[in-house]
Amino acid sequence: MAENRDEKFRYPLRWRLMDAAEAVLDIIWPRRFSAWTGWVLLLPAILLVGILVLGLVVIADSSLHVLDRSTFLPSEAYTFENYATIADSATYWRIFWRSGLGALLTVVFTLILAFPFAYILVRTRSALTRKLLLVALFLPFFIGQVVRAYGMLILLGSNGMANEALGLIGVEPLRLLFNFPAVVFGLVQYMLPFAVLMLAPALTGIPQEIETAASSLGANWWRSLWHVVLPMAKPGLVGAGVVVGTLSLTDFAMPAMLGGGSQDFIANAIYDQFFRTADQGLGAALAMLLVLLGSVLVAIVIGLFGAGTMGMGARK
Amino acid sequence: MKYLINRRAMLRAGVASSGAMALSAFPATRLFAQEPEKPAQIIVRAWGGEWVESLKRGVSDPFTEATGIQVVHDLTEDNEIQPKIWAAVAQNRTPPIHINWDTTTNATKSALRGVTEDLSDLSNLSNTTDLAKPVGLDGFPIVNTYGYVYVLAYRPEAFPDGPPTSWKDLLDPIFKGRIALYNDGIGFHFPAQVAGGGSLDGIPDDMQPCWDFISQIKEQDPLLGEDPDFTTWFQNGEIDAACTISTNALAARSNGIDIAWTVPEEGCKFDTDGLWIPKGLPENELYWAKQYINFAISPEAQQVWLDGLGLPGVVPGLTPPEGLAGDPSYPTEPEDFEDLIRISSLVQVENESDWFAKFKEIMQG
Repeated sequence: MAENRDEKFRYPLRWRLMDAAEAVLDIIWPRRFSAWTGWVLLLPAILLVGILVLGLVVIADSSLHVLDRSTFLPSEAYTFENYATIADSATYWRIFWRSGLGALLTVVFTLILAFPFAYILVRTRSALTRKLLLVALFLPFFIGQVVRAYGMLILLGSNGMANEALGLIGVEPLRLLFNFPAVVFGLVQYMLPFAVLMLAPALTGIPQEIETAASSLGANWWRSLWHVVLPMAKPGLVGAGVVVGTLSLTDFAMPAMLGGGSQDFIANAIYDQFFRTADQGLGAALAMLLVLLGSVLVAIVIGLFGAGTMGMGARK
Repeated sequence: MKYLINRRAMLRAGVASSGAMALSAFPATRLFAQEPEKPAQIIVRAWGGEWVESLKRGVSDPFTEATGIQVVHDLTEDNEIQPKIWAAVAQNRTPPIHINWDTTTNATKSALRGVTEDLSDLSNLSNTTDLAKPVGLDGFPIVNTYGYVYVLAYRPEAFPDGPPTSWKDLLDPIFKGRIALYNDGIGFHFPAQVAGGGSLDGIPDDMQPCWDFISQIKEQDPLLGEDPDFTTWFQNGEIDAACTISTNALAARSNGIDIAWTVPEEGCKFDTDGLWIPKGLPENELYWAKQYINFAISPEAQQVWLDGLGLPGVVPGLTPPEGLAGDPSYPTEPEDFEDLIRISSLVQVENESDWFAKFKEIMQG
C-alpha cells in the first residue's frame, strides 16, 4: 500500500496524462518532422502578416489615385499628387508634428508614472496591497476608451469637478479641455495600464538580491535604483515606450474627444479624408505616411537599443 | 401624473392617426396595386436621438402599420455608411441598407458616383415644392425632404441688450472661449464670407473674406464640435453662442435650457436633407423602399415627422410646430428665404474638402 502511494507520488496523474498526450502526438506528428515545427507554429503569424501586407498594398495603390470630384471616383492614372498635396500643406505638417510630440510626451509621462506603480506592485510584501494594485491595473481595461474619454470631459469641463475644486481655493474656472495638454493627459491615463503590464515582468526578472548587494556595498536606495534597477529594467522600459508611443501616435478617440476639433492627430486626419470628404486617395496617402513614420521610429529604437534590449532578441 | 393636452398635441395626434388611416383604411392590395412580394423588413439609415424618434413617429411606424413591413433604423453615421454603400455597389453586392437619410451634399456625392436609384416615378413628388428637387442634378437621384438653417443660437442672458444682429458680435472679447462652431466649420463658411466683407458671388473662387473672418473668430478661441456637443455645452453653460442647426437649438430648449436663435444680418446657411436608395437591391425591395420614400413626402408623414424636428418640409400647407410660425429658422414663404444663403450642392461637393481643409488650417494653427 505504502509502495503504491510512493509510486503515485513519484509519478503523478498529470505526468501520466502528458505522457499519453505525447504518445498520441507522436503518432499524429512524428518527431522526424520536427524541422517543420517552427514553420507550422509560425503559420498563423505568417497569415496575419500576409493579410496586413495585402491591406497595405491596397492602401498604397489607393494613395496613388486622385479623387475626381465631378464623379467622386478615383482617377485611373497613377500619380503622386496626394503625397504632393500633403507635403505642400502646412496643416498636415502641423498634424504630423503634433502627433509625434504628443506620442513622445505620452511615453515620457506614462513611463514616469508607470515605473513606480510597477515597482511597488512587484516589490510589495503585502498581499493586500498587491491585490489592490492589480485591481487598479485591470479595472480600466473593462472600461472602454470612449467612456474613459467621456469621464475626462466630465472631470475637466468648465463646470467639472476639477474646476469646482479650483473654485474652492478661489481660482477662476480654467479651460482644461479641448487643447493639447488635455489630449496628452487623456492618452497618459489610457496608456498607463499597458505600460505597467510591460514593466512589471521586467522588474520581476530582476533578483532582489542584487539590490540587497548594492545596498550592502553602500549604495543608497536612489543610487541602487539608478545604477542597478533601471539599467536592468531597460528591456521593459524600451518595450513599454515603443508600445505606448505607437498606440499614442495612431490614437483617434482621445484627440477627437479631448482635442475638441482643433488638436487633430494623424488618425483623425485620415478619418476625415476617408469619411468626411470621401477622399480615400488622400486618406490612404496619409495612412501610408503614418506607417512609414511608425516604422522609422521603431527602427530607430531598435537601432539605438537593439532588439534584445526590448526583450525580443535571441537568447544567447 | 398630469397629462397636458393642448391644441398642438391634439392636431399632431389627429394628423398621425389620419395618416395611418389613409394607408390602412384600404386593403394593401388595392393601395399598392400589383405589388411585388413584401420583404420582412427594410433598413433605413438615420441619425439618433430626436431625429430617429421623429422619423419613427411620422414615417416608419405608420408605414409598418399600413404594409406590415418592419422598418429597422440603422444609426451608422451618414459619413461612415457612404464608403460601405459605394464598396457594395462597386462589388455588385446587395447594399447594407435600403434607404439612406442623408445630407443633400453627401447624397450628391453618391449621385455623382452613380450609385443612387432614380426616384422620379414617386407619385407624391407632384405635390411637393421645388425644395424636394436637388439643385444641379438631373432627375431625382435624391428626394429632399426638408430644409434647415444653421442659425446663430445664443443664451439670452449672455446678450442682455437683445439678440445679436451680426456674426461680428461674436468678436466681442467677452465671448472669448465661449462660442462654438462645427469641427470643419460647416454652416459658417458662407455667412463668414459676408461678415468678412465679401460677397456670395465670390463663392467658390474668391473666399478670402471668409478666411479673414474665420481667422478673427479663431482669436476668440472657439470650441469645435459636432451636434451632440453643442447641446451639452449649452446645457453645461460652457458656451454663450454657436453656429448650429436649428433642430439642435430646439432640442436644447426642450431639455430646459434657456436658448434662443436668430438669423443675423449677414444671413445663415440654408441646406436640405434627403432620402435616397442605393443601387443593387432586389426588385421587390427597391419597390417597397420607394414606397417608403413616397410616403415620407406625403402631407401626413411630413406633418408628424417634421413637427418633431421643427423643420419646414417639402409639402405646401404644413402647420408649423408650436412657436415656430414666423421663426427665421422655419422659412416657408419666398421672403423668408431672403436672409438665407443657399448654394448649389454641386458647388459644395466640388469645394467642400478644400473649405474644410482651409478651416482646419486656420483653427489648428
